[in-house]
Amino acid sequence: MSELSTGHDGATLADVLERVLDKGLVIAGDIRVNLLDIELLTIKIRLLVASVDKAREMGIDWWEHDPSLSSGERDLAEENRALRSRIAALQSSRPQEAPADEQVR
Amino acid sequence: MSESAVYMYALARSDGWQPTSLRGVDDQPVRTVSTGPLSCIVSTVSLDQFGEQALQRNLEDLAWLERTARQHDAIVHACASRTTVMPLRMATICADDDSVRSRLTGMADQVVETLAQLEGRDEWGVKVFAGESPSADSRPRPPRTSGTAYLQQLRDQRARIGDSVEAAARDAEVIFAALRDRAVLAHRHRPQDGRLTGDARTMVLNAAFLVDREEAAKFHDAVAELSGSRPAGSVVLTGPWPPYSFTTGVDR
Repeated sequence: MSELSTGHDGATLADVLERVLDKGLVIAGDIRVNLLDIELLTIKIRLLVASVDKAREMGIDWWEHDPSLSSGERDLAEENRALRSRIAALQSSRPQEAPADEQVR
Repeated sequence: MSESAVYMYALARSDGWQPTSLRGVDDQPVRTVSTGPLSCIVSTVSLDQFGEQALQRNLEDLAWLERTARQHDAIVHACASRTTVMPLRMATICADDDSVRSRLTGMADQVVETLAQLEGRDEWGVKVFAGESPSADSRPRPPRTSGTAYLQQLRDQRARIGDSVEAAARDAEVIFAALRDRAVLAHRHRPQDGRLTGDARTMVLNAAFLVDREEAAKFHDAVAELSGSRPAGSVVLTGPWPPYSFTTGVDR
């Protein structure tokens, strides 16, 4: 399953930002700018990505693996909801968890 | 152009190559500002875009940040392919050429020494990911009648992912040690967060190696060989990069 990819194709925006924002010689210039911590900044960038096409281009497609967002897996999401409501029903019928004034046994 | 400032990309020796046809981050010609043995590769920028407040605002703008980061990298890259450079952090900006010169004075000895160490060498990035992404084909396909079986499958899958991350992390240590022996210098960056890379796989190694240009082919062979013999991790090689990772720490 090991794969080897080489060349510039392997360099992502994260690789470029990591180097130009977080590495390199630091000289205090006349224009002072608070470069945010690279990680915080790039997380923020990911959250800012609004365009689906843009995101795909950047290699972000996590929603395609998210059952609640991906159309092919809606039935799975429904099954999860059904399971949750069944669990809730089971829990509410357990005597030790029922309020005392409603306890029938 | 309105009021302007000077954007600095990299340091080089003043007896070296001169840029002639490059355009900078604000579409002005890339040029050098020199004093003594050092040159700074610069371009003029407008304060409308690169002044303090404008810059703070622009850095929050994904499209602007990506464009500028890639341009900064492209210019440093172009210069590094022609002469030995020390890249500067993005958005290092001085008021004018005299201000750039005053920065260079006093750091010449140290920079000249570092440039000598970097000469004829490139940075290569090696990232190792654990296994495959939990993509569509490997995700559990539960029989629709059984929630219990589905939950069991999920537990099994999580256990497998945990095991594969551990195995990949062990492989990554072997890969890093072997490549460090083939490089002039090695540096480990923090593994990138999956939320940043958009890659569902866990990154277990994010390393940079400074490699003699003449040894690059051997280094690549070593990466390929390690990648083949250490199957738990997927290896991604990037480069050649200007030596970004080997110029930090100076004049901080």
